[in-house]
Amino acid sequence: MTSSPPLRRTRGTGWLAAAAAAAGVVLVAVASLALGSDHLALAAVFERLLHPREDVGAIVWGSRVPRTVLGALVGACLGIAGAVMQGQTRNPLADPGLFGVSAGASLAVVVGVYTLHTTSPTLILVLALVGAIGASMLVFAVAALGRGLASPVPLAIAGTAISALFAAVTSFLVLSDQTTLAAYRVWVVGSLSGRRLDDLGVVLAFVALGLVLAIANIRALDSLSLGMEVARGLGESLLRARLIGLGTITLLTAASVAVTGPIGFVGLTAPHIARRMVGGRHARLVPMSAVVGAVVLLASDVIGRMIGGRAEVSVGVVLSVVGGIAFVAIVRHGRMAAL
Amino acid sequence: MVPPSAVRRPFALFASLLAIALVLAGCASTGSRSSDAGSAAAWTYTDATGATISVDHRPTRIAAFADQALTLFSYGITPVAVFGRVPVKTDSRFADFDLSKTTIVGNEYGEIDLEKLAAAKPDLIVTGIYPTDRKGTLDTTQPDYGITDLEQQKQLQAIAPIVTVKVGGAGQDVIDANVKLAEELGAKPDTIAAAKKRFDDAAARLTAVAKARPDIEVTQMYADADGVYLVKPDDEPVTQLYKSLGVNLTDLHPDGEYYWDKYSWENAHQMMTGDVLLVNVEGYQVADLKKQATFADDPALQAGQVYPWIDAALNYSAQAEQMTKLADLIEKAKSVV
Repeated sequence: MTSSPPLRRTRGTGWLAAAAAAAGVVLVAVASLALGSDHLALAAVFERLLHPREDVGAIVWGSRVPRTVLGALVGACLGIAGAVMQGQTRNPLADPGLFGVSAGASLAVVVGVYTLHTTSPTLILVLALVGAIGASMLVFAVAALGRGLASPVPLAIAGTAISALFAAVTSFLVLSDQTTLAAYRVWVVGSLSGRRLDDLGVVLAFVALGLVLAIANIRALDSLSLGMEVARGLGESLLRARLIGLGTITLLTAASVAVTGPIGFVGLTAPHIARRMVGGRHARLVPMSAVVGAVVLLASDVIGRMIGGRAEVSVGVVLSVVGGIAFVAIVRHGRMAAL
Repeated sequence: MVPPSAVRRPFALFASLLAIALVLAGCASTGSRSSDAGSAAAWTYTDATGATISVDHRPTRIAAFADQALTLFSYGITPVAVFGRVPVKTDSRFADFDLSKTTIVGNEYGEIDLEKLAAAKPDLIVTGIYPTDRKGTLDTTQPDYGITDLEQQKQLQAIAPIVTVKVGGAGQDVIDANVKLAEELGAKPDTIAAAKKRFDDAAARLTAVAKARPDIEVTQMYADADGVYLVKPDDEPVTQLYKSLGVNLTDLHPDGEYYWDKYSWENAHQMMTGDVLLVNVEGYQVADLKKQATFADDPALQAGQVYPWIDAALNYSAQAEQMTKLADLIEKAKSVV
């Protein structure tokens, strides 16, 4: 984390990295369709893919296709949100949850389940979106009322404080109601099991807007990586850059949390891997983080499906184990790319 | 169908301070306990764990965990206090009983209001104990059911001795153990006999219906986003009872893990052998089940033979009602698998 220039890496490696990323995506997507807790033969999977009507039990079209699509989407969102978060805060250990988005989603889900006594997946998804946005707005307001938004520090502090507050209320509600605890426990682990594409409309709107904001934020992120003073000198409006960044992180993290529940490590590790592949320039780093995020999430989900016997191990659990080890390896294997 | 899980709570410290205060307060007023006529003789009872509980008179003021409280109610004994795993007021199983003379001292697992409990002046606390494996092992190093930890258990014991009923193995044994305790606590033989009559009639009818419809397979399950949990009929006393009466219950893997078999949604097709599905009220119901693409083909679901199912207590009247319900469902069911 020295102040060596981040815009390293030569042009030649770009194509190689792009090819590797494309190959990785294809590979995990095929694995995600081919492998599952029901050990269908490869030929049968292929047959069912081509002839949806012969997909008895909807195993391929009802389970594997949705979770492959959703896994790739959520992984990509978390990867981008992580890259933007790390760029905004210039902190390589920043997670997209830092601004309170995940904590807000959790609280909204718990309050919803507690007061409405529902476990409906559609409702939980909407609650998570509302909670994520609400928390982000609150964090933004608290930071804006305080020391302002030019520096990411007030945002991070407000995010941490509000996350802690929300987590306390969440625990209180969860611990005081067994039914809520049961529903929350299933949701909070982070899983792609039983998710459907039907509820995706509103999530896609979040993702689309988040992507637009991410692209709009790329130039500012490059300036910010040189430090606030330089960025300001380059004519960057820091407030505008912060707002767009916060919007990106909120929308993309909210979409992910709504689909799978809070999932850690992807937002943290994907930008690191991407940075090693394409360097720190955000025009490359952001898309590569998306690709790496999708690959990491899908690969972890496939592992979880294969090790649970008749049941499965949730992707959130796999990621906390595999992701943790992988992260330590990244940190230990040479120094981290500087921000 | 209550998984024998203990949920840890953070209020232990506060509760322990409270308990000490209560015990001290209790010491100051020894001898003020009321003793009814006929209960003056000393009372001893050996419970499921083998512990012998002695009280200087037959207990008349009883506090109980919800399941055991339901049983006492059904035999005409009104507990002075009850603590539940779910809110007692809205627990439909209490609908038939008058709770006006009973203090509700807990509405979630391990959350027991010690102050209220002590104020109810119980001279006995009754709860369950679940075996930890198929052999029926009772782990007495763990707290009894409905209690957070051994610390809280001590606090309860400081208020009144605890008697446990084993909830495991054969359903009939659990019912018998509950009856025995109720008898010892002074339940009227007529009341028990009347309840037993209803139970025997319902059991006879369920046996007859099951015999007439051996083709109807009944699946008892719980479902959520992670997949489907199947109750293993021999491991859950209630299903063991129905199985012993001839009900054809889904039992795909009698060995292996204790109590539940878990299936991912992708593997749900492996457990679609039931004609009637009894789905636990705490998880997914018909609407959510229909939304799971990999479960939509389930024959019972398509035939509209999916029913919400509560954990009926193991006493004569609750089981008479539940067995009548089950017999009705089997009788009108179509064989769809």
